[in-house]
Amino acid sequence: MAFLSLRNVRKVFPNAQNAAVEDFSLDVKQGEFVSFLGPSGCGKTTTLRMVAGFEAPTAGSIVMDSKDISAERPNQRNIGMVFQSYALFPNMTVADNIGFGLKVKGAPKQEVKQRVDEMLALIKLEQLGGRYPYQLSGGQQQRVALARAIAIRPKLLLLDEPLSALDAKIRVALRNEIRAIQRQLGITTVYVTHDQEEALSLSDRVVVMNLGVIEQVGAPFEIYNFPTTAFVASFVGTLNIFECRVDDPALGTLHLAGVKLFVSPALLAQRHSGKTVKVALRPELIYIAASGADDENQLTGVVENVAFLGAVARIHLKVGDMTVLVDEFNNPHLAVPAVGSALTCYFAREVCIVLA
Amino acid sequence: MKRQVSWLAWLFYLIGALYFIVPLFGTAVFSLQKKRGEIGLSAYQAAFADPKFLETFLFSNVMAVFTILTSLLLIVPTAYWVHLRMPRWRSAVEFVTLMPFVIPAIVLVFGFIKMYSKPVTLFGVTIFPSLTTSNLSTNILLICAYTVLALPYMYRAVDNGLRAMDVRSLTEAAQSLGAGWGVILWRIIMPNLRSALLSGALLTFAIVVGELTIASFLARPAFGPYLALLGNHRAYEPAALAIVTFALTWVAMGLIDLVTRGSQGGAMAGAR
Repeated sequence: MAFLSLRNVRKVFPNAQNAAVEDFSLDVKQGEFVSFLGPSGCGKTTTLRMVAGFEAPTAGSIVMDSKDISAERPNQRNIGMVFQSYALFPNMTVADNIGFGLKVKGAPKQEVKQRVDEMLALIKLEQLGGRYPYQLSGGQQQRVALARAIAIRPKLLLLDEPLSALDAKIRVALRNEIRAIQRQLGITTVYVTHDQEEALSLSDRVVVMNLGVIEQVGAPFEIYNFPTTAFVASFVGTLNIFECRVDDPALGTLHLAGVKLFVSPALLAQRHSGKTVKVALRPELIYIAASGADDENQLTGVVENVAFLGAVARIHLKVGDMTVLVDEFNNPHLAVPAVGSALTCYFAREVCIVLA
Repeated sequence: MKRQVSWLAWLFYLIGALYFIVPLFGTAVFSLQKKRGEIGLSAYQAAFADPKFLETFLFSNVMAVFTILTSLLLIVPTAYWVHLRMPRWRSAVEFVTLMPFVIPAIVLVFGFIKMYSKPVTLFGVTIFPSLTTSNLSTNILLICAYTVLALPYMYRAVDNGLRAMDVRSLTEAAQSLGAGWGVILWRIIMPNLRSALLSGALLTFAIVVGELTIASFLARPAFGPYLALLGNHRAYEPAALAIVTFALTWVAMGLIDLVTRGSQGGAMAGAR
């Protein structure tokens, strides 16, 4: 049974023409780490705020631990929240910030102190309990915000783009810490981000949102490798999307700019000959071979540009009037093709995705 | 060219400083010359020796304290709520708080007297007694009038303080930790508004202690009317008291500066 259940949740802000969130239904299991991923304005933060109680749903219900909390005030829900802006209380020390929730609930002094010490140890800031927020770095402040949110032993932990304001390196280190703490405590967590790498690396499941609706829900591997909509395909990772004409659905053949392509016939089961379909292909699944490779699919073009991205070299190959991105994994002996040279790339039919 | 600009700037600075300092210096020197041909503090001694001075000064101080408390009770929750829930109303509320700048104190006090000197009745039943029939109720009326006069200063100070912090996130963080409105206001918002509240309080204090019109028309023994009365009969004592009040104002300004400087780090931390 789901620990957190959102049923047909809808949110329309006053004077707004469109719904910010439309028909949002999701079940989150106890101890699960779920991320809401999407571009700005897709409704992910609004959904999170409805779970927290800061926004009231226009329609639908939110059930947590078998209790409908849709009408409960935020301070009655026992949900911990971490904000993008840290939101630490500037007038309180780190220890006072962490102990605030417990003091509000009337916990005895000794219990508050013990819990604060536990939390400081958990976030590895034992020595900084007496400091004020402005005396901490951004990363330290966010760790304190996390400790403060979980000090009250919440039923659910919500994180609203908690790493957006941090440097790239600290972001990676802190996201690993967040995941480790979440696993250690087994706390059900909902995480909002627009950073796909963050969502894919942290989550048990990712909810991809666009224009207020859920586009796809799935494990990170599933979201990345088997996107079901054009939006998910284009939003998560880098993708080549080709507009092709179906040739023979039974054989899985398509036409692309005068070239015949092969995909798994099962992907064209519902398509008719002559119809246009979108075929998606990850750049890292296309490869360059010196001479005739085994795969049926090949595209020949002229190298337009080569961008070195560290782990990969991204080749922009001009094929007809379209540009195909090809990623070559970096190695010290990589022969980077010259701009303007002719190049043939290959890919297997199994790696092609036909979008809905 | 740069040198000329700098020289001109200093010249204007000097003219401005002289404009303020010369009359003050003149008053100070005058206040020290009560005895012919002598420089001394006899005007100050005479002023302080008058029991009316202490009585009126204490009265105005008490009124100032109550005005500050009333202003805080009225303005802090209002400004907080406007920031949190009604940001669109901010300019309308600001406009209302600026009204005391355009409505003269004399108009305000006549309005107060006209409105509150008679009991308010509804269907023959008195629901609000006259506020000018006893000293206590007139003092209450005086505090209300002072609160209106101090509104632009206090509101602005609180508003600036609230703008310097992320009110929404701090409120929501406290709510998610189980805090109700009272706890949020008392333990999160007010402590982070410390320097803003002090600025507003000291400005209010300065206004109330020197206020003349309202206290005169409500016939209350305040320091402002006492100073004006003294000026009609004496020459040197009002000058001495003017210097004392000026010094008190400067002490207040110094305190604001000291407190604001001391809490700058905290204020910055409150920002996003």
